[in-house]
Formats: sequence, structure tokens, C-alpha cells
Amino acid sequence: MLDLLQQGFGAVFSIHIMLLMVIGVAVGIVFGAVPGLSATMAVALCLPLTFTMGPHAGLSLLVSLFIGATSGGLISAILLKIPGTPSSIATVFDGGPMMEKGEGVKALGVGIVFSFLGTIFSIIALMFLAPQLAKFALRFGPQEYFSIAVFSLTLIATLSAGSMVKGLFAGALGFAVSTVGIAPVEAIRRFTFDFAELNGGFAMLTVMIGMFAVAEIIKVAERGRRPVEAKAEPVSMKNIKGFGFSMREFREQVPNATRSGLIGLGVGILPGIGAGTSNLLAYIISKKRAKDPDSYGKGNMGGVVASETANNAGIGGAMLPLMTLGIPGDTVTAILLGGFLIHGIQPGPLLFITQGPLVYTIFAALLVSTVLMLFMEFYGLRIFIKLLEIPKHILLPIILVLCVVGAFGLSSRLFDVWSILVFGVLGYAFVKAGIPPAPFIIGFILGPMAETNLRRGLMMSDGNFGTFLTNPISATFLGLALAFVIWQLVSAIRPKKSMINEIIRT
Amino acid sequence: MATNKKTELAIAGCMLAVGIGYLLMTTQLPHHSGIDATFVPYLLSALLCMLGALHMLAAVKMPQAVQAASTPDEAAGEPLDAKAVVKTLALIVAYIALLKTVGFPIMTTIYLYLQFIVLTPVNQKVNHLVYVLIALITSAVVYTLFREAFDLMLPSGLFGF
Repeated sequence: MLDLLQQGFGAVFSIHIMLLMVIGVAVGIVFGAVPGLSATMAVALCLPLTFTMGPHAGLSLLVSLFIGATSGGLISAILLKIPGTPSSIATVFDGGPMMEKGEGVKALGVGIVFSFLGTIFSIIALMFLAPQLAKFALRFGPQEYFSIAVFSLTLIATLSAGSMVKGLFAGALGFAVSTVGIAPVEAIRRFTFDFAELNGGFAMLTVMIGMFAVAEIIKVAERGRRPVEAKAEPVSMKNIKGFGFSMREFREQVPNATRSGLIGLGVGILPGIGAGTSNLLAYIISKKRAKDPDSYGKGNMGGVVASETANNAGIGGAMLPLMTLGIPGDTVTAILLGGFLIHGIQPGPLLFITQGPLVYTIFAALLVSTVLMLFMEFYGLRIFIKLLEIPKHILLPIILVLCVVGAFGLSSRLFDVWSILVFGVLGYAFVKAGIPPAPFIIGFILGPMAETNLRRGLMMSDGNFGTFLTNPISATFLGLALAFVIWQLVSAIRPKKSMINEIIRT
Repeated sequence: MATNKKTELAIAGCMLAVGIGYLLMTTQLPHHSGIDATFVPYLLSALLCMLGALHMLAAVKMPQAVQAASTPDEAAGEPLDAKAVVKTLALIVAYIALLKTVGFPIMTTIYLYLQFIVLTPVNQKVNHLVYVLIALITSAVVYTLFREAFDLMLPSGLFGF
């Protein structure tokens, strides 16, 4: 493992890749910091740039964007009291009041350092767990993959924000949209209406760009013209030693950070739910366990620590199912999956055997990006604050142009550009109807995996469903999926005041 | 977001319509005995219709008066700008439709300039000169960058270079 990691670092430390990663982290932080832009958007928009790069350079750029954007959310959470991304909602609770008390730099410093620690912790966990899980997953056949896909689908649809029915509907609709094109196994054309362009179905990237970027622009057209604009307060970096907090304060936060890191990692591994949930969960538990729970929400450092450690620990967590099983843990890793496929690499257990050096280059890129993030975000803070002031009515049209370029770049056809508009309108309709978009995306990606493996499994067993239930791993996941749906149904009918449930639902 | 009974009924109606539409399209697919390529679409149609119906049921049962928790925008008394949405959509459609014939550099400049104007907040003045400059520079930079650095041939259209 050390040899491979050394090779990975060797690849990452070339001038070309380092430069790409510095740019990636900086752009990522901006996308995380500006409310309305997200990590998903950053990775989706930059994916077309990697087409002409090799897989090592391309994937290094994409993971550096992921890390920058996940952490960047804390800047606007603390300075503007608006979470830049859903994963930094809980950072606002105490980061905002700290800023009001004049401890803005300390809040930012704490947030950035614990973002760093959370990310590093999760990447190390990823490096140790992933090869083991991959070894185990090598034995998986169609039955296991089908059941894991079904389990993941039920998990995301029921846990997504808002009503469970709407979440499930979104997941099923995403699955339905994925059935457009040539069917697996049998190769008949479905729902193509004789358009040759639809034979291959909708490209994953057009769906994502449409749902997340184009929809956002339409949303701004609706609301962005109102005059109020939050303005970032200036922070003074004078007389700041280190990262703005003392060693004693740091030591006091270690138990809190460890707990939050574990929560973030665990929630991140579960497919479908990620940093958007784990930061709130970690915050609540940290508040419950604190000696002075009353000070939470009034500017307690512990709140920022819990939220930021947990959301960044989700990075390694979400990468685990992606790299070992090819199942994306959230929407960002869903695009990363697209990034792998564009370079002709199929994530899954075989990745660790056939592409060992690449896997360790990704690990190295993750670690190096995290270190870059720590220094760039803190010491470049003033530049990022300036960027928060770019008016939205200038920024978003430019992003739309980049969306068009990205979609066109997929295969140089206007069909894909029209697709992003169609999915943009759909994404906007989802927002208006209160339907969460994330289950749609996961349904769209995991749907074909479930269908293909179902058909393959049935072919292997001559049409006998029983093999899905006699296979122990497959049966476990199907059982878990069923139990989970029943549990959700029961708690929907008899609403109990479970704190976790409430947080997940809001 | 929307908790208004009428809105929820409309949403449920749309959900049901999508489910039924998908079911009708599925029935048109070639079919043979046993598990075939229509199996999953039928399953999904049933699921979509069932969820639509469930939501319809919930919306019908909803008390009329639940309006307190409407969308934050409506609660704050800020009217939503439907005109800007329609204009934005029209601009994007025109942009994509003319992209090939007129070309990326010209269309992007025009689109950006007009879109900046449409999205300018009500309390800010439209600065034509700055908008034109930003539109021109962005268009030129993106076009050249992708053509030269990333080998992506964006439609050149009337420019022809």
C-alpha cells in the first residue's frame, strides 16, 4: 500500500497536476461560499474541462473541487449567516453569533481547521476501509448489486427532505427517465420516439447540469431581483496568531470533533444521505453532550466544530461506496462517477486490482487538496470575501453559458444542450412543487444498475426470483430495504418526536 | 414548500398524470411472455400512479386553512417575478436555437447582455457599457479558451474562423 501511495504522490506532485489542484480548490471554495452555487455545480461544470486531460489529472481536479466546495460553505455561513451549501446549515447556528460577538476570525479559523481535520480523518478511513471492502465486494454478483441498488434507492427516497411520498416519487421518476433508450439485456428501444439521439438515453451530465445549475438560474430570475443583498462584514486579520484560537481551546474540542467526525463518516457512507444531514445530526448530539448546552446557538465554538468536522468527514464516506461498488453516496459523487466513466474507468471492486496506481493517485489528490484547502481558505480569505460581492445577475448568466459549453462538449451536439434546458425546467418545477431533486438523480443513476442486475440475475437463474432471496447478502439488503420502508411508514402514521427524524425531515 | 391545499391538489394531479402518461407509453412497447424489457417500466408506472394517488388522498384530506406556513417568499410578502422567469426562459431558448447558425461568439455576447438586463435587481441601474464589456470579454475568453486549450470546437457560425 505504501508503494502505491508513494506512486500516487509522485503523480500528484507534478507541476501540471498541482496547478490544476490549486485552481480546483480555489474555484471549489468560491462555489461553496457563494449561496446558490454548490459543490455539485462546481464539479458538473468543470467535468467537461477534464475531457482532454488524462484520468490522473482530470480526477485530481475533480476531487480538489469537491474538497474546496464542501469546506467553502462555512465562509458565507459565518460571514453572511447564509449557508453556502446545505452541508453548512448548522455552522450558521453558532458561527453567525460568534461573528456578531466580534469573533469572526476565530469562527472562520476553527471552521477551517476542523474542516481540514474532518476531511483528513475521513480520507485515512477511506484508505484503510476501501481496499478491504473492495476485496469483499469482488464476490458480488448481479443479485447483490441489485439488492444494494434497491436498498440505496429506498434510503434516499425516504430520507430526503420534505414529504416521503414526494421523495419516493422523485426517485421513481428519475428511474423512469433512465429507462429511455436501448434496454439492457434485450436491446429494444424504449421511449425514444424514433429520435436517434435518444438511443443512448439522456446523458448523466445533462441531467445534473439541468437540475442543479439551469434550475438555479431560473430560480434567481424569480427571486433574485429583489433589492436586499446581504453584505459580508469585513474581518480584520491583524494580530491573528496561527488560526485565531488557542491550543487549549483546540484540546477541549477534541472529543467533540472525534464524535462528529465519526458521525460524518458513517452518514456519508450510507448511500443517498450525506453532509446535508450529518452536520445537523452532529450539531444536535454535540449540544446534548456539552457541559453548557445553553450556550449553543449563542456563539459556542463547539457548534462550529461539530458541524464542520461532520460535513467534511462525509467526503471520505461518500467516496467509499463510489470507489468500491460504483454507487454514488450523494449528488457530487454521482458526477464524479460520470468523471470516472468519461475516462473509461468503471468504479467498483475491480478498480483496486486493475487501476491500483490511479486509486492511490486519487487518495493522494484528496490528501493534498485538503492541505491546500487549509492554507488557501484561511490566508486567502480576503479574496474569497471579495468574490462574495460579485453580483448574482452577472454571475449566473455566465454560469449558464458554461453549462451550455459543458453540455455541448459532451458529444458536440445541440441535443444535449436542449436536454439541459428540459431538465432545468423540470428542476424548477420540482422546486415549485416541493419535490426534492436528489432522489431523482440517485434514481436516474441507480435505476439502470438495479434493472440490469435484475435481468442478469434472472437470466442466470432461468427466471427464478428465489435466488435474490436465498443469496445471504442480497437477502440482507432486501430485508433492510423492506424494514426501512416499513419503519418510515410506521413513523409517518404515528409521528413520534424523534429528534433525528425531525432533523432529517426538515 | 407549498402547503396550500389547491397547490397540493394540482401537484398530486401532475404526479398522477406523469404516472398515467408513463404507463400509456409503456403499453406501446413490444412485449413477450416472461420478464422482458417492459417489466421495470410497468413496475415504475404502477409505483408512480400509486404515489400520485396517495398524494391526492393526502391533499384531499388536508384542512383548507393550512396556509400559515406557505413559502417564505409569500410569507415575506415579496411577489414572485413571473415575468423575469418567462423572459429568462425565452432568452435561453433563443440562445440555444440560434447557437449553431449565428455561432457561439455572437450569440453568447447577445445572450449575456440581455440576460444581465433581465436579472438586474430592481433597485440597481442598468449599466449598458459595463454589461456589453463583460459580455464581450466573457464570450471571447470562453470561446478561445475552449477552442485552444480544451480542443472543444464550439459552433463558430457567421464568424467562420
